[in-house]
Amino acid sequence: MNRRRVLAGSLFAFLCCLSCVLLAKAAGPQSVGGVSDVDPHKAFGSKTAPITMEVFSDFQCPACKSFYLGTNRQLMDNYVSTGKIFMIHRDFPLPLHAHSRVAARYARAAAQIGKTEPVEQALFQNQEKWEQTGDVDGTVAAVLSASEIAKVRALVKGGTLDGAIDKDYALGQGYRVNQTPTSIIHSKGQTYPVVGVVSFDILKQFLDQLLSQK
Amino acid sequence: MMQSSPLNLRRAVVWIGRLVLGGIFIYAGYSKIFLPNMNPHPPINIALSLFAMQVDSYQLLPPRGVNLIAHTLPFAEVALGFLLLLGWRLRIWATIVSLIMLGFFAAVVRSYAMGLQINCGCFANPEPLTIKTVFRDGSLAALAVIMTVFTFMEVRKPHPWTAPQKT
Repeated sequence: MNRRRVLAGSLFAFLCCLSCVLLAKAAGPQSVGGVSDVDPHKAFGSKTAPITMEVFSDFQCPACKSFYLGTNRQLMDNYVSTGKIFMIHRDFPLPLHAHSRVAARYARAAAQIGKTEPVEQALFQNQEKWEQTGDVDGTVAAVLSASEIAKVRALVKGGTLDGAIDKDYALGQGYRVNQTPTSIIHSKGQTYPVVGVVSFDILKQFLDQLLSQK
Repeated sequence: MMQSSPLNLRRAVVWIGRLVLGGIFIYAGYSKIFLPNMNPHPPINIALSLFAMQVDSYQLLPPRGVNLIAHTLPFAEVALGFLLLLGWRLRIWATIVSLIMLGFFAAVVRSYAMGLQINCGCFANPEPLTIKTVFRDGSLAALAVIMTVFTFMEVRKPHPWTAPQKT
């Protein structure tokens, strides 16, 4: 009786596995090929780097702040500057954040005058202040000179920046991004989505394994 | 004189628990190891590193703990799934499955309460952590616990057909 039960259980287990495999294959591939619409002002590192990393973030998102001020800094120092990663910052302003699109416009405008890093840093570091007051302009002005902020304001008022933000957003939707931060890592024709804040040590492990792939 | 069928509510729940949880565990472990949604499938070490990042996004464990979980849990899930389906030493494996499900449910509830925008990490396909995920995992944890309790009860009070005949 026991032997029959074990045999029946084994057969059932095999059928379950087979159906799992067939269902999984039917789900189809998820990766999106190619990286397009790269804004050179918001891209960092060598274009010939073996890994391309698109980071979709929202300036009003607390998790994005943690990622930017923690992991991102170490990534820039250890992988981007050494030619291992080509990093692209993508805007993905979530609808539930009232001021994130405004912040994205200011960051893009700052990028066009070569002031990406100080403005992004200021926006993330002072996130709690400007998300309460909506004073993105004041936050950005605090880290720019008078002439620089004038240029930024002109670009923001020009209304030409929303197109680029919308393109990033559409690209994110193509990758099925629905949370921020989401990093899309491209390596050897494969695409790996990484959602949420990841510590540098764990991300480093993954990146090193990708780099060591033949 | 015919007696009632051995299939009572307790046994039915145990069977349902074994089938559902066994199948889910096997698929969950398999999908984490082989990433069937990707074409071509990445090497196992990369798949497990990707899972490690999903575990890390819960912000619960230090890197060593994350790596331990990431490199053992998928294989344990497959093994436990098979053992549940086989029905061998069911009390032990059902208890372990219940503990795993309860631990995971606690992590999911904590992350949801904290407002973490992360993926569940349950299967290969990215799945946002929402209230639906919380309810689903809670239901599965409840099923695991009930299945385990009924398994122990079955041993203590077996059905008359399985109990030794009194002469």
